[in-house]
Amino acid sequence: MVTQQDSPYNWGMVVDVDRCTGCQACVIACQAENNVPLNTENLYKEQRTYSWIRVERYWEGEFPDVKARFIPIMCQHCGNAPCEPVCPVFATYHNNEGLNVQVYNRCVGTRYCAIGCPYNVRFFNYWEPVWPEALRNQLNPDVTIRSRGIMEKCSFCIQRIRRAERVARRDDRLVADGEIQTACTQACPTNALTFGNLKDPDSKVSRMSKDRRAYKLLDEKIGTDPNVIYLARVEEKAEAVHG
Amino acid sequence: MSTSQTDPPNTGKSGIPTWVKILVPVIATGGLAVTGVLVAITVFVVTAWFGLPLPVFGFDEPPEQPIAFPHTVHAGTDVLLDVNGVARVGGDGQELHGLGLDCTFCHRTVTTSAQAGVPAVQLCSFCHRVVGAESNVQFEQLRGAGLEPFVGAINWQRVHRLPDSVRFVHDPHIRFLTDNPGVIGNADSSITGLSSAQPAQVCSTCHGSIATMEKVKQVEPLKMGQCVNCHRDNEAPVDCSTCHF
Ligand code: HEC
Ligand code: HEC
Ligand code: HEC
Ligand code: HEC
Ligand code: HEC
Repeated sequence: MVTQQDSPYNWGMVVDVDRCTGCQACVIACQAENNVPLNTENLYKEQRTYSWIRVERYWEGEFPDVKARFIPIMCQHCGNAPCEPVCPVFATYHNNEGLNVQVYNRCVGTRYCAIGCPYNVRFFNYWEPVWPEALRNQLNPDVTIRSRGIMEKCSFCIQRIRRAERVARRDDRLVADGEIQTACTQACPTNALTFGNLKDPDSKVSRMSKDRRAYKLLDEKIGTDPNVIYLARVEEKAEAVHG
Repeated sequence: MSTSQTDPPNTGKSGIPTWVKILVPVIATGGLAVTGVLVAITVFVVTAWFGLPLPVFGFDEPPEQPIAFPHTVHAGTDVLLDVNGVARVGGDGQELHGLGLDCTFCHRTVTTSAQAGVPAVQLCSFCHRVVGAESNVQFEQLRGAGLEPFVGAINWQRVHRLPDSVRFVHDPHIRFLTDNPGVIGNADSSITGLSSAQPAQVCSTCHGSIATMEKVKQVEPLKMGQCVNCHRDNEAPVDCSTCHF
């Protein structure tokens, strides 16, 4: 058995839905950082496209008084993850840093985890991923290319976490708040996404997660205890203006 | 269809009871299914084995390098230098030995980053602008590879290569082993006398004594067991996501 040492970290993310404009910059950044295959037209027709983070769009109100709402959804890194116990080969498990880890070479592709996941953020590689010749040199060497038959999902950019932790250990200190930026938080033009250590009470994510607006997706209903915290939209008081 | 009371139970034309008739094909197909499963498992195990075999039959032959770069001459001190069979002699009449360069002189990033890195041609040219001006097949090749006018690159072939799903980083290992020489398994006596003994010994944990190799080859299995055993003994992380992501 792998023994789990205590860790000073519990990585988490805060998503301020109020700031999200649905621009999809995070989706593109994630795709480039994590060697996510291109969503070509053919794959789209086969309904085999995916992205580790997606921006859900929904409408509020009736035409013409209608508003577009956006909510970015990625792996919630649940503390009580429904995807983990169903894996027959322990390819997905929870590590001591609060990450829901997917061990690609351990995965045998049963897809049980994807069925278990209530957020629909686990994706199966139905095909061997291919990139156009021009894009081959932009692949990230720090991220495994997932071959056909393997499950994959948001890793909170674990390659960046590992790098920062290594540097911190070399310098004999802890990873500072804000030192790690995932690809999506880095790309977000409105700072709707914030990444950090939830175990550190002074970190930005910890402080934000105590906000009145904080909620976790589906947590109340099914108790998945996600490490991603959402901040609800601020409703304009001007209800009367268009009411 | 009439059956009289005196007839034996219906045994069909061939005289075999019906239940036997049903059972035989059931057992047969069952047996086929079991055999199929066993064959599938065997095929899986065999292909997995040959996918990433343990080096029980020895290691693969190292790849052909564009230039036969000898670590013995540059990093070791045991070899005698010679040009086209004629021994090189120093100013004092003594025969010249290998240079005994520090591994980090050429593999510069090994202490600071994940990759050890192989030196650029410019680094070779520090010395080979002067050394080896004589007509020597190797140096002709070196020049052909862009030593003069110092452009281009040599396409060295990788010798040590972990599967794509494994992330290895050199720098924490070099730091740790430099501080804890006791952990170094196979310290080589031929390099202990050198001023560069430290890095060479550190590297020997996983690469063997490169300084005595005419051609670099893999001598350690570098399988997961080796990594994890050392990690466990030295309180290094053993979480799967340390090495796999
Ligand atoms: C510190 C100086 C130095 C550096 C740097 C250096 N070499 Fe050398 N190299 C030597 C010396 C000295 C010899 C022995 C030459 C002799 O015996 O005439 C040698 C020998 C060689 C030989 C062997 C020739 C033979 O067949 O005996 C090759 C090949 C070679 N070097 C390639 C390289 C390459 C490639 C690099 C760059 C990665 C490099 N060297 C960097 C000093 C250096
Ligand atoms: C003069 C520069 C030089 C020095 C000094 C040197 N190396 Fe190298 N090393 C090279 C070059 C060039 C290559 C690529 C050619 C090859 O693989 O033979 C290489 C290749 C290697 C490789 C194989 C890399 C692979 O492809 O897997 C290892 C391991 C290695 N060196 C270890 C060492 C160690 C250990 C030392 C110190 C004892 C050392 N080197 C000293 C230049 C050097
Ligand atoms: C803990 C084991 C270990 C130690 C110690 C170690 N290496 Fe390595 N080295 C490896 C492994 C494993 C690889 C293959 C890495 C890969 O495929 O990603 C490698 C690859 C290399 C390579 C070729 C690829 C690259 O990273 O450029 C060179 C050169 C190299 N090592 C040099 C050295 C030198 C020089 C030292 C000593 C200062 C050293 N190594 C110490 C395990 C080790
Ligand atoms: C000789 C013992 C030894 C061997 C062999 C060894 N390691 Fe390590 N490794 C360590 C130690 C000790 C550390 C912790 C260094 C530190 O952080 O101070 C470490 C750290 C690491 C880290 C960095 C962990 C992090 O995120 O900070 C990685 C990755 C790693 N090892 C991978 C490997 C792989 C892959 C192999 C097998 C090819 C391997 N190691 C073989 C001793 C070893
Ligand atoms: C210290 C580094 C390290 C750690 C920790 C580690 N592995 Fe590995 N693992 C490796 C290396 C190196 C290999 C490649 C072995 C080879 O070349 O055959 C490997 C190979 C594998 C393979 C075989 C892949 C294949 O394609 O055949 C599986 C499966 C695997 N690891 C699963 C795990 C699991 C599950 C864990 C967590 C319990 C884990 N590993 C932890 C270093 C590590």
